[in-house]
Amino acid sequence: MFNNGRIAVIRNIVRAALLSSALLTVGVGGALAEDTIVWWDFLGGGDGVRMKALIDQFNTEHKGQVQIQATTLDWGTPFYTKVQTSTAVGQGPDVMTYHESRIPLGITTGALSVITPEEQAASGIKSSDFEPANWKQAQGPDGKQYAIPLDIHSIILYYNKDELKKAGLLGDDGKPKGLDGAANFDAALAALAKTGVTPLSIPTADGATMWRIFYTLFNQQNGAQFLSADNKFLDGDANIADATKALTEMNSWVKNGYTPAKTEYPASIALFTSGKAAMHINGVWEVPTMVDLQKKGQLFDWGAIQIPVFYDHAATWADSHSFAIPDRKGNEVPAAKRKEVLDMIHWFNEHSLSWAGGGHLPAFAPVRSSDDFKNLKPNSDYSSLAATAVFDPVSTLAGVASPVYDAAGNYLMPGMNGEMDPADAISQMQSDLQGQVQ
Amino acid sequence: MTTITETTSQQPLVERRPRREDRSEWWAALVFTLPFVIIYAVLFIYPTLQMIWLSLQNAPLIGPGTFNGISNYVRLFHDRLFSVAFWNTAYFVLLSVIPSTLLGLFIALGVNRLKGFTQSIVLACFFLPYILPVSVVYRIWLFMLDQQFGVLQPIIAIFAGTHMNVFRTLSLFMPAVAFVTVWWLTGFNVLLFIAGLRNISPDIYESAALDGASRWQQFTRITWPLIWPVTVLVLTIQLILQFKIFDQVYLFGDGGRSDATMGMVQLIYRNAFQKNMGGYAASAAVVLFAIIVVFSVLQYQLLKVRGEK
Repeated sequence: MFNNGRIAVIRNIVRAALLSSALLTVGVGGALAEDTIVWWDFLGGGDGVRMKALIDQFNTEHKGQVQIQATTLDWGTPFYTKVQTSTAVGQGPDVMTYHESRIPLGITTGALSVITPEEQAASGIKSSDFEPANWKQAQGPDGKQYAIPLDIHSIILYYNKDELKKAGLLGDDGKPKGLDGAANFDAALAALAKTGVTPLSIPTADGATMWRIFYTLFNQQNGAQFLSADNKFLDGDANIADATKALTEMNSWVKNGYTPAKTEYPASIALFTSGKAAMHINGVWEVPTMVDLQKKGQLFDWGAIQIPVFYDHAATWADSHSFAIPDRKGNEVPAAKRKEVLDMIHWFNEHSLSWAGGGHLPAFAPVRSSDDFKNLKPNSDYSSLAATAVFDPVSTLAGVASPVYDAAGNYLMPGMNGEMDPADAISQMQSDLQGQVQ
Repeated sequence: MTTITETTSQQPLVERRPRREDRSEWWAALVFTLPFVIIYAVLFIYPTLQMIWLSLQNAPLIGPGTFNGISNYVRLFHDRLFSVAFWNTAYFVLLSVIPSTLLGLFIALGVNRLKGFTQSIVLACFFLPYILPVSVVYRIWLFMLDQQFGVLQPIIAIFAGTHMNVFRTLSLFMPAVAFVTVWWLTGFNVLLFIAGLRNISPDIYESAALDGASRWQQFTRITWPLIWPVTVLVLTIQLILQFKIFDQVYLFGDGGRSDATMGMVQLIYRNAFQKNMGGYAASAAVVLFAIIVVFSVLQYQLLKVRGEK
């Protein structure tokens, strides 16, 4: 009896174990039917929060089908080094964010895979939905597509309406007037200075900002070309002259006392938000800073517009956060997964309106021309820059955190702050960059 | 010849007896050191050899390269940035190692006079900066020295006549970074010196006092010679540490004239990670390695000799 009872107990336990493991298998099987996309990005701060909300929305809408598993890594060189080292050994994500300006170096380090026209078509991605320059920037020298843009981010002119009004520079539409043309812009700065305010604050201690402003002014001149097709930086006297002209203009703002010299990035923002400076040039990514301050009632009436036209035509430096699929050596992302990833990329472009809350302009034209976007202020006030945006030179030496950015700190920064003669700074920058061409 | 036979015939007689003990000692030594030796070989010797091999190749950061002999080294010694980086590093070592050692000793002598709870509090105050990560140190000093809003700018204005961005003024960059580094790391030196000072028996001071030695005599004749070994240790640790300067210079110099403020490790970092030139970066790393080995051995020997005198 006792023995039988014991056997019965054991039998029950075994049965329970079998049953539960069978259930578990079903459970795991169910979970396996839901695919996972491993995602890496470098988006911190407000951008990170906004992207996380979009990812959550995607995951909710695609429950039971596909889920994004996102990891955020350090921005800049650490991110790209990690991508390079992991893809070399067949590791890494299924999809990652990538600066368009870094794509040339990404191709030479073998980190990026080609997204074929057939794959794009299968997921509904069309080049006609993007600005031509923006789309082309994601291509290699072979004309193949290595990434799909998500946004266009650029620099803009922030302004304090009260201060501009005092100086007679505010139009009836609430936008600045009379800033186009270098002479007019300088006159406007002088008019602002007369009212006792600091006319323009810029992160003058920051090489990256120097580069963005310089590249904007340089490219507003007819025929200016920073890097020639045969890999020559500032080739010829005309280009040197254009570059010197742009840097001399920047230097004049500091020399005439319109712009405080050697100002650190956070301090330059504080000068504007505290009302000490009437205008501020910085990236669109600082729009949330202003929006948040205004929501708390801690900011004056402000606006933001595209950088004025100083010379021959409109042009603004720009870069682009884009999506790329890594080339994981020996462990390539399978075709079915690539399809899912590209579908996902398309979904993010269609939903990029909320990404614009970070100040960025959606790369996807249908979103930019939607009524919802037109009502989004101040983004729609400066969205005109997308059509004339100029992207970084296509070179392994250019792009964020690149030798070109270093050169901006080494030459443009002292050139603007009056530590170096602008002409000397340009010629030294030219020979330094040319010397690094292999 | 005769001397050799003499020694060989005599030596075994002396050594024969402890041989069995020798063997067990040898086994014990092996067992205790083997884990370290394996890790050392895998994580240090092997990568070092690989690095030397990489430095003889034209290679990217990841992936195969082609052998090109010593051309990386030839190029390195002609690289303008290499000499800038070398002299910047040497300058930084000079500005940071000796001041932080002297300051450490000075503070330790002071703290050592305090007693009990007060001593712990004061010691903690001096040690506190040491536990901060470099990013926090960077933020604190960037904030305190900010040209527009920094709380230390009024003091700078007294000397310079105007507010200035010290980290964007070339002549002030290295001294400023060295100052921050000394502030940050001296606490550790203080700790080492205090340990050294506590090892000196109070009896010695007592008898010196009875013999009528002044405070200064006590310091020069007793304290200084007896903590000389600690001083040598502190100097050597600091020297090796500061030769490898990277974090602070990188953070404070980022976005500025980074060529002019570059240190050796930054040169390696830029070539390897920013420009994808693994072979070239490896040659710079080998040179830095050699410099550190030579300097630390030289310094240690020199200081030891002086101490034994």
